[in-house]
Amino acid sequence: MTTQKKRLAVNVGGGFVPGLNAVLTGVVLAAKELGWEVVGIRDGFDGLLFPERYSDGGLLQLAPQIVENFSAGGSPILGNATRTDPFRVRQVNAENMVEEVDRSGDLIARIAAEKIDAIVSVAGPRALSILLRLHRQGLLTVCVPTSVENDVAATQLSFGFNSALSFTVDMLERVRQAAQAAQKIGVVEVLGEHAGWLALQAGIAVCADAVLIPEIPYDLHAIAARLRHKIDTGQAGGLVVVAEGATPREDALQPAAVAADSFKASLSPGSTGRERSHVIDRSGLVAKAVALELQRWTDHATYSLVLGELVKGGPPTAVDRQLGLAYGAGAVRGVHAGFSGVMVSFQPPDLAFVPLTEAINQTRTVPADGMFMKVARSLGISLGEREVRS
Amino acid sequence: MISGRVLNIQHFCTHDGPGIRTTVFLKGCSLRCKWCSNPESIHPKPELAYNPSKCIGKNECGLCLKECPESAIFTVDSDARVGINWDLCTNCGKCVPVCPSIALYQFGREMTVDEVLDEVEQDSSFYHESGGGLTLSGGECQLQPEFSAALLEGAHQRGINTAIETASNVPWAFMERILPHVDTVLHDIKLTDPQRHKKWTGADNTRIRENLKRAYETFPEKTFIARTPIIPGVNDDEEHIRATLEFIRPHKNVIDYELLPYMRFGESKYGFLGRVYEMQDFDPPTAESLARLRAIIDAAFGRESGHKSS
Repeated sequence: MTTQKKRLAVNVGGGFVPGLNAVLTGVVLAAKELGWEVVGIRDGFDGLLFPERYSDGGLLQLAPQIVENFSAGGSPILGNATRTDPFRVRQVNAENMVEEVDRSGDLIARIAAEKIDAIVSVAGPRALSILLRLHRQGLLTVCVPTSVENDVAATQLSFGFNSALSFTVDMLERVRQAAQAAQKIGVVEVLGEHAGWLALQAGIAVCADAVLIPEIPYDLHAIAARLRHKIDTGQAGGLVVVAEGATPREDALQPAAVAADSFKASLSPGSTGRERSHVIDRSGLVAKAVALELQRWTDHATYSLVLGELVKGGPPTAVDRQLGLAYGAGAVRGVHAGFSGVMVSFQPPDLAFVPLTEAINQTRTVPADGMFMKVARSLGISLGEREVRS
Repeated sequence: MISGRVLNIQHFCTHDGPGIRTTVFLKGCSLRCKWCSNPESIHPKPELAYNPSKCIGKNECGLCLKECPESAIFTVDSDARVGINWDLCTNCGKCVPVCPSIALYQFGREMTVDEVLDEVEQDSSFYHESGGGLTLSGGECQLQPEFSAALLEGAHQRGINTAIETASNVPWAFMERILPHVDTVLHDIKLTDPQRHKKWTGADNTRIRENLKRAYETFPEKTFIARTPIIPGVNDDEEHIRATLEFIRPHKNVIDYELLPYMRFGESKYGFLGRVYEMQDFDPPTAESLARLRAIIDAAFGRESGHKSS
């Protein structure tokens, strides 16, 4: 009598990051070694919830031969859902009315019907919470953290961050050279709503003049003073890196408020247009506001540039290839060992398994007295802090 | 006594029908327009919202942290204010009554017909002077047919003029129940093509068009005003305007066609509800493009261009 092979599914919940195929390769090869069969679920959980939308029924067999042809930098084969949320699935009902319904029960049933024993999810910060809820409903799951902002708690390094960092450094270097040539100050906005890792580490790598991160409310007076001094001594170019979540100190310069508008305020209670809080902020607003204020305070031409989502494309770095393979293989080892409701965590030099409850409801931010802050300060990079005047 | 779910009662409105009006926003919608500026009106039931700028913080308060059964409220070291994990929140509402600063609050409350009408009637002197009255809006006010019909009928009994703002994506039986008690129907025609309508609003418009045609014909004594929220790159083209005119002009009780420019309002409400706004970088239509489209409408109604601005 032969025992049937156990079946493992893998999916991606969270935004696209470079090199996702590396994680899949790690999963497939490790599963082969441990005697598991692997299927990929298309587009988060959509492949299981809406099989009729896919010519292959929403599930992709991931035989070891397939990964032979994978290129880690190639286009992702599974697709991803930016929000893998089976608890709030939007659908049109029989009355042609749009509604959100909880289909988590259907999903668990579909997983059982497909004889899937466990799931490895490559998950961003929000998807981790959803996987925790599914785990509480009985789903066996091990997650791989992914975030280009490296803001997932309980791991030192999320998959995708290193590639984003490398690309950002490359772009900043170009901006710096261009700014020098044009004798202007370039202000570049990068991702990082709550955590400034990308801005800080990339800013250090290119020796930017200033780096503004969400962890430190900034004072543009201090930065303007430094830039003025630099310009006065004959260096007319400058580079300021701004994380999208950076905010000014409450007692310092504020970006100019958007003017009120007298149009009919659409159809909305509260949307009067007079209150600042109801006006939509465009992306790239932080870089623009900082560039404008710096120009005012330095009397030197500035320009702003937003890298934003660009960092999510392109090839993975060597570090991410290795990390992806290690995370994928590690997740399979976790599943095989009977773990569930956990995330694979990189705690150099080892991989560990941490409960999902430790990874959610937290953001991995840059510690105030950590090594990167010290390095930046010792290189003379301004972090927007008010300088102590003697 | 019939009751329903009310989002908000807004006084002294001048854009929601004739005169000065009191607009009652009802909760629940059957479309999901990507440009929606009232995300708090979409869900049919009361739902949690959180304005972090009002939070007193864990050091002085922290009551909600103990109250949440799902551990969906949390704090991080760097911030005294609480955060909400929207993916764990089940909208049970237990945190709302314990929040002293109303940073946590609920959109939507159950109100009886009389409670609503008593508040609406407070403004009645303005209605008489200006020719205004009560407007039901949403969400989609026709999704609560018994409540809406009772509100409108009750308003008529109190001598108050009535109007509704509707997208009309509801079963015809609902409209049949409500429209007899409405003086002015302000209804959207968002897109002409059914597939494009589905793409941008979540549902196709086949039934909307059937409902509207049937409403024009069944209620010839009612006044209808068609409206399009103008979204650049979605429906700000002559083709849509002309197709809409072709649809409404055969019906003499459709007295006007208004264009409402897309406005960049509403995003913080998405944040307060833990949702993502997909149209962050869409621009409002330019004055020139609006004027060009309005000129087509004015010509179709046989009047001079620029007769009014909405």
